[in-house]
Amino acid sequence: MNNVKSILTAVAMAGASFSAAAIAQNAGSSLTVNFTGIEEKQGSIMGMLVDSEAAYDGKAAPVRPLMVSVDKAEVVAMIEGLAPGTYAIKLFHDVDGDGKMGTNPYGMPTEPFAFSNNAQGNMGPAKWADAKFDVKVGANVHSIIIQ
Amino acid sequence: MTDFNRRQFMGTGLLAAAAVITPDMALAGASPAGWALGVADIDTDIPEEVLRLVSGKVPSGLNTTLYRNGPAKFRRGGSASGHWFDGDGLVRKFRVRDGKATLAARFVDTPKRRLETKLNAMVQPGFGSARGPGAIVNGPDDTNAANTSVIVSGGQLLALWEGGSPVMMDSETLETIGFKTYRRDLKQMPFLAHPRVEPDGTVWNLGGNGKGTFLWKLNPDGSLANAQMVPLDRNSYFHDFTATARHLIIVMQPWVQDGFKFPLSTAMKWKPELGTRVLLIDKNDLTKRRVFELPAFAFFHLADGWEETDGTVRFDGCIEANPTFGQLAASALLRGEHIKAPTPMLTQFVLRPDGKAEMQMARVAAEFPANDKRMAGQARRFTTHVTGYRQTPFPHAIANWDWSKGRDDKFDFGDHQLVEEFLFVGKGAGERDGWLMGTTLNLKARKTELHLLDAKRVADGPVATWRASLPLPLTFHGTVA
Repeated sequence: MNNVKSILTAVAMAGASFSAAAIAQNAGSSLTVNFTGIEEKQGSIMGMLVDSEAAYDGKAAPVRPLMVSVDKAEVVAMIEGLAPGTYAIKLFHDVDGDGKMGTNPYGMPTEPFAFSNNAQGNMGPAKWADAKFDVKVGANVHSIIIQ
Repeated sequence: MTDFNRRQFMGTGLLAAAAVITPDMALAGASPAGWALGVADIDTDIPEEVLRLVSGKVPSGLNTTLYRNGPAKFRRGGSASGHWFDGDGLVRKFRVRDGKATLAARFVDTPKRRLETKLNAMVQPGFGSARGPGAIVNGPDDTNAANTSVIVSGGQLLALWEGGSPVMMDSETLETIGFKTYRRDLKQMPFLAHPRVEPDGTVWNLGGNGKGTFLWKLNPDGSLANAQMVPLDRNSYFHDFTATARHLIIVMQPWVQDGFKFPLSTAMKWKPELGTRVLLIDKNDLTKRRVFELPAFAFFHLADGWEETDGTVRFDGCIEANPTFGQLAASALLRGEHIKAPTPMLTQFVLRPDGKAEMQMARVAAEFPANDKRMAGQARRFTTHVTGYRQTPFPHAIANWDWSKGRDDKFDFGDHQLVEEFLFVGKGAGERDGWLMGTTLNLKARKTELHLLDAKRVADGPVATWRASLPLPLTFHGTVA
């Protein structure tokens, strides 16, 4: 279960490792992500959008970091200029705003986390195969329940 | 249990253990029929009902509530829990007031129970259960069965497990409120089902084992007073610990956890060559500790301890020659099989100021030790316990052991009755000045019964017995409120 901590910590670091090269805005797809079911209306959703299993597993740079302030039970992220293709999202709700995934003294997550497709992990993050989804040409919408 | 689960359970580690502990297996059919009713399933909550007084007379002025908890749902859609300890917790409220007794019971509404209801399968792993198809485990509370005990802390009724958070329950409706989080960073922390409560309501508890255990101290109002890791030098499994007025006592049996895997018990190894180590920790300075060495034994339950003027510490508990019961027999129960495990025996532990430790055997079979909670941390003379282990896996008698006279004041309910934990309900100031209140499962009548005995005259049998309209599976622990 410690894996949850280590891999989601990578989410918090995505912002730092995110490079200009990753923002290759060569196509006109957009992605609207609705985050619902938020219990604590404070802090922010922190996550990353990735386009490969390697990036999903933290072995390559993410396409975009995600950071959305939370002030109500449903918030939205708008992502423009994506190339059509296969993507996945992993995120946590940084309720206390300290920029990292909270864990208890035994390393168990204490802040909500979620994956695209609402894929469920098992003693660790959900698998790429369960979290991946297609972004098509034009406008796309994806919903993730934070729990 | 499915064949797959059973294979998995029997596979890793336990076969090696079995070779050492050579369990003597007998089928349930060879025992007085029907003990399996003690581990049968309950499908729905039990609305409040008035219990029928079947014998005796209700003492006037008695006004007490006995909350009890125990697993009551083990099987769904052809799959089953792999262990008695892994069924869903059903919290029962027995209340005696105005000369009447009532019963209501409600399952703790846990994520485990919700998921398994949806899948119509027992899938969440546990102490003796393997992971089933569709299991979701993202933290300990996903597998929390909330099935072991209950406590009232700061007026809040809490259903307790041991590997995760307490669950808040409404003390009247028994509705589940949710997991109790004492502080955000302490979500999903283990919290044993055996907190030690000082007479003023201060709660001490532990959670988890390994390189350390997590110490909880709650104020009488239920708020968090202290929470910190306490390092341990052995990764013993422990289900219980105890305390005196000044010390915490952690008994580290040589049943040790080697790594982590499901079922949890398959990661636990019996290493009698290590002996048993007792750790005495000063409540006021957790760095002040003393270590005592004892011969190897296995145990689940202890009673409250106390200090004597010369610094000698005494406490008692129920010890077994090895952990066959927890490792094998308690799993077999759910398959209707009775594996004979070593009988738990009542034992007093004496920790001397010179660093020597002794065990004084009462030489009586005993489990579920209980004592007058008003005297927690003070010297006492009596320990209440179940006894009367015969052909079935469960006890048939209740007794009060007198440590000064070395005798049991015992009442045997008979072969047709399975006896659960009895708790002391105080009336006057004296240690036995009150009642023993507890439940049995009457296999002949196929009904759960509530009994009240005079704590000074246990052998006389119940002064009052009430009967419910249905049989409920056996409980583990409870509290009197």
